[in-house]
Amino acid sequence: MSIVLDVREVWKAYGNLEVLKGVTFDVGEKEVKVVFGPSGSGKSTLLRCINMLNPPDKGEIYLKGKSLMEEGVDLNSMRSRIGMVFQQFNLFSHLKALENVTIGPQKVLGMEKEDAINRAHIALNQVHMMEWIDHYPAQLSGGQQQRIGIARALAMDPDVILFDEPTSALDPELIGEVLQVMLDIAQAGTTMIVVTHEMGFARAVASEMFFMDEGVIVESGTPNHFFTTPENERVKQFLHRLEVLYGGQNTEE
Amino acid sequence: MQERDFSSLLAFIITAGLPATLLLTVAGLGMGFLIGLALALIRVYAEDEIAVIAQAYENVFRGIPVLVLMLLFLVMTGWPALFSAGLALGLRSGAYQSQIMRGAILSVNENQVTAAYALGMDRMQTARFIVLPQAFRLALPGWSNEYAVVTKDTAWAGAIGVLDMVKSVDYLIFENPILYLPAILAVTIIYFVLTYPITRYAGEKMTKRLSSLGLGGNY
Amino acid sequence: MTGSGNIHGFTLLQYGLVSYFDELAQSFLITMELYIVGLVLGFSIGLTFAIMRQYGGRIFSRIATAYIEVIRGTPLITQVLIIYALPVAINMSGIASLPLDWYYYYLDSQGRIAITLNWPILSSMIGLGINSAAYQAEYLRGAFASITTGQLQAATSIGMTRWQSIRHVVLPQGLRRAIPAWSNEAAYLPKYTVVAIWVGVMEFLNMAKTVVAKTFLSVEVYLIVALTFFVLITLVSRFLEYIHNRTKIPGV
Repeated sequence: MSIVLDVREVWKAYGNLEVLKGVTFDVGEKEVKVVFGPSGSGKSTLLRCINMLNPPDKGEIYLKGKSLMEEGVDLNSMRSRIGMVFQQFNLFSHLKALENVTIGPQKVLGMEKEDAINRAHIALNQVHMMEWIDHYPAQLSGGQQQRIGIARALAMDPDVILFDEPTSALDPELIGEVLQVMLDIAQAGTTMIVVTHEMGFARAVASEMFFMDEGVIVESGTPNHFFTTPENERVKQFLHRLEVLYGGQNTEE
Repeated sequence: MQERDFSSLLAFIITAGLPATLLLTVAGLGMGFLIGLALALIRVYAEDEIAVIAQAYENVFRGIPVLVLMLLFLVMTGWPALFSAGLALGLRSGAYQSQIMRGAILSVNENQVTAAYALGMDRMQTARFIVLPQAFRLALPGWSNEYAVVTKDTAWAGAIGVLDMVKSVDYLIFENPILYLPAILAVTIIYFVLTYPITRYAGEKMTKRLSSLGLGGNY
Repeated sequence: MTGSGNIHGFTLLQYGLVSYFDELAQSFLITMELYIVGLVLGFSIGLTFAIMRQYGGRIFSRIATAYIEVIRGTPLITQVLIIYALPVAINMSGIASLPLDWYYYYLDSQGRIAITLNWPILSSMIGLGINSAAYQAEYLRGAFASITTGQLQAATSIGMTRWQSIRHVVLPQGLRRAIPAWSNEAAYLPKYTVVAIWVGVMEFLNMAKTVVAKTFLSVEVYLIVALTFFVLITLVSRFLEYIHNRTKIPGV
């Protein structure tokens, strides 16, 4: 299995605050890696470092063997190969759902309009949003907006998609539809890094899970490992708290 | 000589005075738009040293009476009064439109800029496809206001000899001074008809429409 | 513009622009007079209309809205001309005979009459006042509207009347909150005093025009006028900014 993303000893500080203190892991093709941990542990920062929205202070990131940290690398074209799905959806509010999905292929990948629309239709089909393509983001529910956000990332045909707590801004009754879409595309072979507390999702599709705390990966392993024999005391406590909060593996479908 | 009645005076105001008023409005707003857009882009995107110059431009042109600007351009360029008046209105409106545009650009949601970068867009593409299309919509209420300001300020041009609506009253009134007040009232009403429907439409309908699209609730 | 700095200095002396300093200074006082009276008048009327619009019930609120929209939709120049021409028209129509040739004055250092107030000056002040009032009313109302209704309900709950709650709850907070936006109006009002030219008042710009007619130094004189207004407006807005910073209350 070939390595898609290789993250080596990534450090990041905001002023005096060390947010990432040497994070190392890799993601193989068609793998789904789930990152979880308490808030402020550096999970979101890790994703923003990976697609260089906030470049790391030190360390190395390779996308299919090509360094993102090298001088003179074309960051825009590298970013176009790394999809991102945001907690707050971040849809373009002046564009209809379809245009939100076509704008990347058209303007960044330089595709013809018809080709971009064809590609957008495929992506929108995958997220079950074809009936809504003529709506503006403000006319859609949070769950629908997030599915458009996922389609926008899919339509770029990226090497990997980063999900930054994609369901944590959603009302509970809308979480299911987004998780279902994420499960579908994971099973269809999309390479993903997902920051989430949805343990049901993790159990269903994660090839590996990372528990992060205070800027480092404290423990890693398969879902089975985490749910049966977690080693670290902090991990046990955190999983216990999640269980109390969410009543066990609630979201498994 | 026969005294002028009100209707012939009104006809003169509209045929002789209104064209200059409309022409100056269009010229002032159009020129102001180009200058304002350039200044706003400089203030938001350029280096601080250059942005300071744009800010100084704004302060200077907002701090001088438009009639003084008109007189200055008139004596400095030697152009016809109409050109000098248009230049003054345009340069001054540019300073105001820059502020309108800058406010609109800054109120575009920062998350969407992040999403654009994450898609692989560069700064130019992000400005062109994401920020500016929204900023132009967000600026509409501000622009409608500026349209009213420029329309009303064209009246200053009469003071440097441009035959606009206010000045047209002066031209004929000595024949029948009793008509002065009704004539000025008529001019005032014409200005109101020119400005009010547009500011009203933009102020209410536009703001509602914009917020229904999730654009700028508080602009 | 022509010539280098040296030549300019020479022409200034040669034509004796300096000798017009007194007249220009006197006319500048008229400008300041127009500004200050216009601002105070505008604030009084504006505050009244702001309260009427926000708290006056349907009828008063409609009246205030109509006033604000009509004034904002029409040019200052024609507003001043209408006020100026109103008593003239009344006299011409024979309904009444209003005195319009009165004036107040003082004698300057050379014993010349310097008018401080007459009908053209007064009508310009009134025009500036009612015009500025419409803009000031909007800024004030915006600030009043931002005060939570919870605070008004609290005032009612301790037995305050409507007027008492406006007086003791809305105004102290609202006026402070209005300072930044209001400052903008206050600082830029000097620009609009030149409107008095239209009714023949010898304010700063009008005097400058007569100096130009005598000396032909048009560019120099108008640049001085532009600079004077710019400095005045900058100073006033800096001053108001300073006042604003001094009167800040946490959370207000």
